[in-house]
Amino acid sequence: MSDKAKSTSVKVGIYIFLILMAVIYIVPLLWVFIVSFKTNAEIFSAPFSLPKSFYLDNFTFAWTAGRLGKATLNSFIVCGITLILNLLIGSMAAFAIGRLRFKLAKPCLTFFLLGMMIPVHCVLIPLFTRFAKIGLSNSLLGLIIPYLTFSLPITVYIMTGFFESMPNELIESACIDGATIYDIFFKVALPLSRTGLFVTGLMTFVGNWNELLMAMVFISDEAKKTLPVSLSKFVGPYNTNYSQMFAAIIIAILPTIVVYCTFSNQIVDGLTAGAVKG
Amino acid sequence: MDKLLRNKKTIIFFLAPGLILFTVVLFIPICQSIYYSFCEYNGLAASKFIGLRNYKELLKDKSMMFALKNSLFFLVFSCVSQLIMGLFLAALLTNINKGRNLFKNIIYLPCVLSSTALGLLWMFIFSPKLGINQVLEKFGIEGPLWLMDTSGTIILPMWIIGFVALWQYVGQSMMLYMAQISGISKSLYEASYIDGCNRAKSFIYVTMPLIKPMVATAMSLNAIGALKFFDLIFNMTEGGPNHRTEVLATHLYQQGFKYNKYGYASAIGVVLIVLCLVVTGLINKFVKSENYEM
Repeated sequence: MSDKAKSTSVKVGIYIFLILMAVIYIVPLLWVFIVSFKTNAEIFSAPFSLPKSFYLDNFTFAWTAGRLGKATLNSFIVCGITLILNLLIGSMAAFAIGRLRFKLAKPCLTFFLLGMMIPVHCVLIPLFTRFAKIGLSNSLLGLIIPYLTFSLPITVYIMTGFFESMPNELIESACIDGATIYDIFFKVALPLSRTGLFVTGLMTFVGNWNELLMAMVFISDEAKKTLPVSLSKFVGPYNTNYSQMFAAIIIAILPTIVVYCTFSNQIVDGLTAGAVKG
Repeated sequence: MDKLLRNKKTIIFFLAPGLILFTVVLFIPICQSIYYSFCEYNGLAASKFIGLRNYKELLKDKSMMFALKNSLFFLVFSCVSQLIMGLFLAALLTNINKGRNLFKNIIYLPCVLSSTALGLLWMFIFSPKLGINQVLEKFGIEGPLWLMDTSGTIILPMWIIGFVALWQYVGQSMMLYMAQISGISKSLYEASYIDGCNRAKSFIYVTMPLIKPMVATAMSLNAIGALKFFDLIFNMTEGGPNHRTEVLATHLYQQGFKYNKYGYASAIGVVLIVLCLVVTGLINKFVKSENYEM
């Protein structure tokens, strides 16, 4: 076999393998999507056919009776507020570590980075008892605080890198123009690090949006549960209506899939850029 | 300008919110957690110091042994499988041009989806009457009870959950390796071809040594992820059947928040934290190597 023919056949082999991989990734998602439009009886009587009609009651039931609508809203509130606070507090600390001049900058960074190695599970119990005492359990604020704290290490790490690599001349010229340090931070440093803010914002939002354990521990009030908790509760051993449970799964993942498909390249590259630095 | 950047007040202003939050919500609780692990504490009565009794009980606790074994299994399984699959996919994807982004994005997709939803999804696929068993039924085969089988040292549900975890997170490792591989200069490969390497050989002799630092990073991420493992197990088997698929995190959750044994659960937490520190230390010691000029 000539070299050229050989390399073509290798290419064909690679593509066949990758297409198989893609099938393994897409079929489960597609299956849930199709089944969620069927009635419960149809799932067992005609498992492989397309749904006879688009049966939307599954979705309305999961959205209202399964409280997924309310849960989505709660998730938005919690993750949105966490995102904003995290970007502000995280980049402030990063600015101090990367740009301001003091001896303890390196130890400060190490202190924040230790947080990345520590599993959440280890602080659940002390936080839970403390929050119960000061009335923070069962409130969205009680979820925002730990989310914010556990998002900080990665934000501080990535943003420190951005601020350190910023050219010195920009700050110097701002100083000569008579800017205060707060002007420099808000009007020079932050706008120049938009990529970093995007990357860290994305990472923390995705992480918190999918977080289950803390949300389950800190919130027991039905009306305040976030999306993963409500979903996990709705799809349980006591529910026998499969198509409703499938609809619930679709409600939980479809928004993310839509956003992902629209911005996939930026998201994938952004998240990786964050992980490469971390 | 120096004066502006050295001003003590501004330094404190910028640093304080983060540091205070971090200390109050992370470091004080960790110390408390270590203290609770030596106490009998249920949240209602005051904590009572009992020395090492919680740890002694841990050694006798059968579900704890399952949990420890399963967590270590996940640790090894996810480090090895993610390394092999991640590297393999990265090598394939960097060798093609058409459709590279498409395949990359498809494989990365589950990483951003909720592992609660995906765990439930796979739970249905492997449930007795749905998913795979419906397909098998069509061919006249009676499928096994995938997630309830308890024979063997590493039981079938653990392999299934391990596979699902690989399916969900391999995109992350793949992307890390791809980023590293695409940073290797083309001239190194050309030199290796002149010296008589084919593609496979140049992968072993050029690519592999140059991505070693990334192997350390990706492996530490996988290892910590595997030890923290909670969502998939909780939603696929809830630790059952009969505690056989329990991992440290699910065991901690159950002991702490179902039975209110806060002291005992804290002891599990301490085991978890020690494991995390030891494993990341080991990986960084053994996988890290000298840095090459790229």
